[in-house]
Amino acid sequence: MGTMLEIRNYTKTYGGDRKAADNVSLTVESGDIYGFIGHNGAGKSTTIRAVVGVLDFTEGEIYIDGHSVKNEPMECKKVTAYIPDNPDLYENLTGIQYLNFVADVFGIGAEERRERIGKYADAFEIKDALGDLISSYSHGMKQKVAIISALIHEPKLLVLDEPFVGLDPKASFTLKEMMRQMCEKGTAIFFSTHVLEVAEKLCNKVAIIKQGRIIASGSIEEITEGHSLEETFLEAESGNEEQHITS
Amino acid sequence: MKNSILLLKTLLLSTSQSNIYRHTKEKKRRGKVVGAYIGLACLYAMLIGYGFAMCLGYGAFGLTDAIPVMGGLVICILAFVFTLFKTNGYLFNFKEYDMLMSLPFAPETVAGCKFLYMYLKSLPWYLCISIAMMAGYGRFVHPGVFTYILWLVLSFFLPIIPMLGAAFLGFIIARISTGFKKTKIVQTVLTMIFVVFCFSIRFIVEDMFRNDKVEATLEMISDKTDSAARMYPPLKWFADSVVGRGMGVLGALLLIVVSVILFAVIFRIVGRSYRNINSAMTSHAAGRKYKMTTQKMRSVTGAIAFKEFRRLTGSVTYMTNGAMGILLASLFSIVTLVIGFDKIIATVTQGAPIDTALLQPAIPFIIYFFIGMMSSTTCSPSLEGKNYWIVQSLPIEKSTLFKGKMLFNMYLTVPFMTFGIICLCISAKASVVDSIAYIILGIALCAFSTAWGCVCGVKHMRLDWENEVEVIKQGAAVMIYMFPNMFICMGLIVLTVVLGMRVNHMVLTLILTLIAAGLAALSYLRVMSLCRRMQV
Repeated sequence: MGTMLEIRNYTKTYGGDRKAADNVSLTVESGDIYGFIGHNGAGKSTTIRAVVGVLDFTEGEIYIDGHSVKNEPMECKKVTAYIPDNPDLYENLTGIQYLNFVADVFGIGAEERRERIGKYADAFEIKDALGDLISSYSHGMKQKVAIISALIHEPKLLVLDEPFVGLDPKASFTLKEMMRQMCEKGTAIFFSTHVLEVAEKLCNKVAIIKQGRIIASGSIEEITEGHSLEETFLEAESGNEEQHITS
Repeated sequence: MKNSILLLKTLLLSTSQSNIYRHTKEKKRRGKVVGAYIGLACLYAMLIGYGFAMCLGYGAFGLTDAIPVMGGLVICILAFVFTLFKTNGYLFNFKEYDMLMSLPFAPETVAGCKFLYMYLKSLPWYLCISIAMMAGYGRFVHPGVFTYILWLVLSFFLPIIPMLGAAFLGFIIARISTGFKKTKIVQTVLTMIFVVFCFSIRFIVEDMFRNDKVEATLEMISDKTDSAARMYPPLKWFADSVVGRGMGVLGALLLIVVSVILFAVIFRIVGRSYRNINSAMTSHAAGRKYKMTTQKMRSVTGAIAFKEFRRLTGSVTYMTNGAMGILLASLFSIVTLVIGFDKIIATVTQGAPIDTALLQPAIPFIIYFFIGMMSSTTCSPSLEGKNYWIVQSLPIEKSTLFKGKMLFNMYLTVPFMTFGIICLCISAKASVVDSIAYIILGIALCAFSTAWGCVCGVKHMRLDWENEVEVIKQGAAVMIYMFPNMFICMGLIVLTVVLGMRVNHMVLTLILTLIAAGLAALSYLRVMSLCRRMQV
């Protein structure tokens, strides 16, 4: 078990004064399912986009598998997969054309990709639609294609932004099962969610972010202290005093 | 390299109409693809015809030597200007940015591929001009096969350097803008300033080619094309290699090598700031400072018009394309006030002995030349894109929606048209009554541009675009709007000159106003009829 993601004093400032993320620090180990929770506009997506190398940041450092996102972005991206909250895929490609594009980028062999795409497409019940244009897909179907494209290269770190939005109950269950299996194999998973029940059941660690600052982080047991995650979250959100719990 | 080819291939495939045709199950969509191909083929044919006719003209006046430089010059100017307008939408701020940047692509690879994509998409236009010029040149000179091969090969490289220049300028503008809080506003203003500067240069260059006498102009063209080639060496390299003089084939090699080196250097530089620029453009923090105050109530069409205003000002690409005409019209009007109407007319008529008073009824058309070059109604229906569901789900009639869009274009154009006409009337010392009549004619022209633009926009509405440049700059609606608009405008100007000698100003202006208003009314009725036929 090693550190897969380390965010160290990450700060993102907009327009010179407004801090969207302020001195955020957290660590995700291999095998962790790490939930990142906070209300709308708290800074979750800003942090996630910086982790996956999409967003530039002002201060701090982010390391993935020991590589700096700032200085060695390619090394980081090779072991990371990202699923955005609203996947903007190439609408005029078919599902299979898009998946082949991502597989080509990661150099997945023909036989391997056939097997993996087949396995995941079956699991998410989207195999029959892979020959259709993505523009004809529903939001959930696009989300499923984005998930398959993320899993296709078996990443060491999986970063997901609100992954359950738009998924049907069965696909949602399948994704949770897959996340557990990947975690058992040593993949680190870092995801944001508003569904606190999911975070409580699925994650071994969580961090709560409020107005760009981490107000609580650690293992579920340490954070909740016997209460539900929902109660803990609401209490932390309403509290003026900062509560810093680290595992 | 492998990754670059893969990305470029995917970018092309993702916007390829043939891919849509192959995989869509909707018959209507297939029909649209076929229609788009036919339309494109017609436009290519027109361009080839125009280029060839130009060469015939040069050949007939014994100016065959100037054809290669002239062809190259046209391609380079078009490549530079069009790229400047498109750079922001293609290189930065595109919607799949997050997806691409999270994959193991270096920023310079993404930026470079986006540029190459833009280049390949516009290449057929430049090839049409080049091939037509080559055919025209061949008809008079009968060169060897080698000249044709060289000309064809170099046609692929000729637009690269001006496109790189424009892309690099777009990059510098974007880089400067990211240093400011209001990134988009600064970027729009800087782009507009630069485009106005480019237009001024264009007029200066055009002026270089002009002279008072036709024979003298013809004599001068050869010298002027030579001076253009001296000012911009790649033109000389191209001309020398195809004509087989001066540097000869070495010129061809220079053009290829310099293009490739410049591409590599520029995208190395762009890559360094790429993430920084896109971060500043795509990420915004909520202010959390809003205080609820009294809210203003608007009519439905007014609310739609206001939405359109926010859509225009929220996009650098839309703003620089949509508002450029009114900016140029305003600048032109102010310049006319300073230098005088007579001088402007003398420049346009090449010093021909025409009584400027006769041309006063043409004042609205002079301003319309700028304002009518683009109507926001041509692309605003398509720009609804994925947000179309919002207006679809609201209790708004389609006719009301498009009335709102037309109202916005009138709000946008009428004040500038009026301002321009007033400036020109003051400069031309037109009477108050005549000035009012010209303003009414100007408003009728704005109404025509708005309604005709809306006909094109509704008829060729395309919601499934990947990048807004596709509908703002290259949309079928925009293309179809331009040509009839141009021909009608030219027809009315000819009518002004012809009738101007026979009837008085007031009658002439009344006739022109009735024609423009009639065309506007017909177009408006067509929009309403299209709205009734729209299913959802």
